[in-house]
Amino acid sequence: MSRDNGRRDGHSKFDQARRNILRAIGLGAAAAVAQPAWGGQTLQDAFASFFQKDYRRMSAEEIEAALERIERNAAARYGVEIDCQNTPPQPGVVFGYAINISRCRGYRDCVYACVQENNLGRDSQVQYIRVLQLEQGDFNLEHSDHYYDPETVPVEGKHYLPVQCMQCDDPPCVKACPVEATWMEPDGIVVVDYDWCIGCRYCMAACPYWARHFNWTVPEIPAEEINTNTHYLGNRPRPRGVVEKCHFCVQRTRKGRQPACMEACPTGARIFGNLLDPNSEIRYVLENKQVFRLKEDLGTEPKFWYYSD
Amino acid sequence: MTSRILLSMVCTACLISVPAGAQETEAPDQQPTLRFEGYPGARDFEVVPRKDKLFFYPCTQCHRFLEPNPEVRELAAPHDIKLEHGRGRIWCLSCHSLENRDNLRTLLDEPVDFDDAYLVCGGCHANRQQDWYFGVHGKRLANWQGERKLYNCTECHDAHSPAIKPRNPKPPPPVRAGLERVPGAEYEQHPVWETLEEQEDQ
Repeated sequence: MSRDNGRRDGHSKFDQARRNILRAIGLGAAAAVAQPAWGGQTLQDAFASFFQKDYRRMSAEEIEAALERIERNAAARYGVEIDCQNTPPQPGVVFGYAINISRCRGYRDCVYACVQENNLGRDSQVQYIRVLQLEQGDFNLEHSDHYYDPETVPVEGKHYLPVQCMQCDDPPCVKACPVEATWMEPDGIVVVDYDWCIGCRYCMAACPYWARHFNWTVPEIPAEEINTNTHYLGNRPRPRGVVEKCHFCVQRTRKGRQPACMEACPTGARIFGNLLDPNSEIRYVLENKQVFRLKEDLGTEPKFWYYSD
Repeated sequence: MTSRILLSMVCTACLISVPAGAQETEAPDQQPTLRFEGYPGARDFEVVPRKDKLFFYPCTQCHRFLEPNPEVRELAAPHDIKLEHGRGRIWCLSCHSLENRDNLRTLLDEPVDFDDAYLVCGGCHANRQQDWYFGVHGKRLANWQGERKLYNCTECHDAHSPAIKPRNPKPPPPVRAGLERVPGAEYEQHPVWETLEEQEDQ
């Protein structure tokens, strides 16, 4: 009896210790899984993100669930309530852009408006727009300087050429992507599904305009500076290790607003509009000004023109 | 005669369309008043008002007590303006009305509201004005679609000194790790292959 008792007591003590150990391991594993490994997501969200399909194959319900997940993740990461939308392209609209290079004075207001609007990492060195400074009359891009920093611009004898994604009509980056994480939308914007991108950077190698950028780190954005008006294919918070690019501010332009760079340009050098509308400003530029495109000989058919007057 | 030539010049430059009723109501010996009514094909727009941003407006606050003086001269305070517009060809009363102080004037001496200053500018800068009407010069507010709301010429250009002054740029992008530049080295001007080619030529 005493032996039995002793055995039972021993067994009970051993059992208790085993349970404690298991509980500790379980809690530890749960904590490891819940917090650092999944970036503050719940396990359910982490699983759902992992099994999320390509944007173009998702049903409406799946997209809705993905948008809600993005909003929850942003709240967990930045402590900010964002509004992630999935505004579809407008029918009968193909976007085009034109820049009057005789008006551009190199202020870089567009660059910083873009950083602010599109939730670009403040420390990750990603900027969608580069303003090139060139000698007057020189269009050799290899002679350009985008690190210029004089007291005042424009510098005598220089001219300025802002370069960003050209939204090519025959985009080489799209052809290069091995997983089809980037494609051209019906309104002509070349977009990236950040959840489908594997970060191989083939598209960056394929782009002749240096328009695609890689997130080497998780974009660090001060919570109070986050733009809460976001789009799935646009400026929603991106993870580390994916490629991103200018998307003509899809979250704004699909609702009829101007891209942030155009709104910020103090000289009115930037013209944006619907290429299919014969009365649009962009069509007036194409029909009445001497326009050119960068590296036109490559046959990428950019929807981004430059002109001077 | 001079005014007739001037009128015909303005007509040609601005594509003035003549309202059907205007000529009938005029006396036969008088020159019909032709009014600029915009460019054919340009879409409707609304102009952002300017008057609420003018410091001295309404001008008649003071000018109703002052004798109009058409003599070309340097003005004292508060209008001690250094006129850097027109390179000496124009002065205050080319654009400001002598009699009707709260208005601007066209070259035909028609009154123009300060909110419609673009009509005055177009008298000389017709090409720019045409571009502005079609939305490729100047700035449109907020949206690319729907209603067009345009900034007036004088929103960006100081009418007394219209050239935009140089200003400081925003900071340059951060230099990527490993791409720091050595001061004094001319990287952009002399890529490696061009330097080699130059050496070969020598």
